[in-house]
Amino acid sequence: MNAPDNHLERRARALYREAAVQLDPAVAARLRAARRDALASTRESWAHRLLQLLLPAGAFAAIAFVALFMSSPVQRTTSSAPTAIQAVDAADGELPPDAAAADPTLYQNMDFYGWLAKNGDSEASR
Amino acid sequence: MESHDGRADEPDDDGMNSVVSSLDADLLLEDVRAVPASMDAFLAQVERRAFRMAELNLGHREDALDAVQDAMLRLVKHYSDKPPQEWTPLFWGILRRRIVDLQRRRKVRSIMVGWLGGRDDEGEDLPAWEPADTGPGPLERLTDSQSYADMAAAVKRLPQRQREAFMLRVLEGLDVAETAQAMGCSEGSVKTHLSRALQRLRDQLEDWR
Repeated sequence: MNAPDNHLERRARALYREAAVQLDPAVAARLRAARRDALASTRESWAHRLLQLLLPAGAFAAIAFVALFMSSPVQRTTSSAPTAIQAVDAADGELPPDAAAADPTLYQNMDFYGWLAKNGDSEASR
Repeated sequence: MESHDGRADEPDDDGMNSVVSSLDADLLLEDVRAVPASMDAFLAQVERRAFRMAELNLGHREDALDAVQDAMLRLVKHYSDKPPQEWTPLFWGILRRRIVDLQRRRKVRSIMVGWLGGRDDEGEDLPAWEPADTGPGPLERLTDSQSYADMAAAVKRLPQRQREAFMLRVLEGLDVAETAQAMGCSEGSVKTHLSRALQRLRDQLEDWR
């Protein structure tokens, strides 16, 4: 029953495919151009997406690098400065003692040293 | 207008299924689709047939080119990351919707033209509902051009959904599930539309028997 009926379907499909193959060259060229444009658009879109992703990441990395660069010299300065000053003090003993290199207990007992100096002066004048 | 979900017109006889299964056996198995290697290869494979399908539906070369171009662009833009096996129903579904959009737009334009008296600003006749293609006429180059023209005329006379089912299922060779996906309806609805389309075409193309 179906064999003769399928003749219509087979012939219709054959004609349709033949018509597609024998397309006007101008139309075929425009279809090829349209395909190229479509594929190019996705490449642009990928590049755009990549740029959108990389831009914040790059900015974050730059900020992190700058922050790291800014913080590390401070630490180096604070840790290495007393050593350098101590070396200078050792070389030249006539200079007044450096405040940072001095004994910290000196500054904790400033009131005592002030009282001692005052009383010492008054006792000497007696 | 026919229902788009197709629930109301589910097939109610076994004859319809036998027609569809015979299509599977006799037509679809003769050319098993290969999975496309790339999006470029897929589009190169379908672009000419897509144009023919759009041309059959729209009856206008420029509109058909626009529809195919837009369908390609949308497929590449939104569905490139889908598995290649899914590209076929996705592409034909996009093209079908684009064709419907253009037909609706043209209908609105023809209504507006009717209100405005049928002439544009330059005094020339506005495009008719289905304007004649003034291009070189590729059909003339077909060896069986008359047969193709007869088929095209018969297909154009089909109701929209029957035409879509016939074109996707018979001409393009999609299976029932893919056709249903492309048409946005149930598989039963596809079978119904296809059966009715074939019946009409057999009546109209009696010379082909």
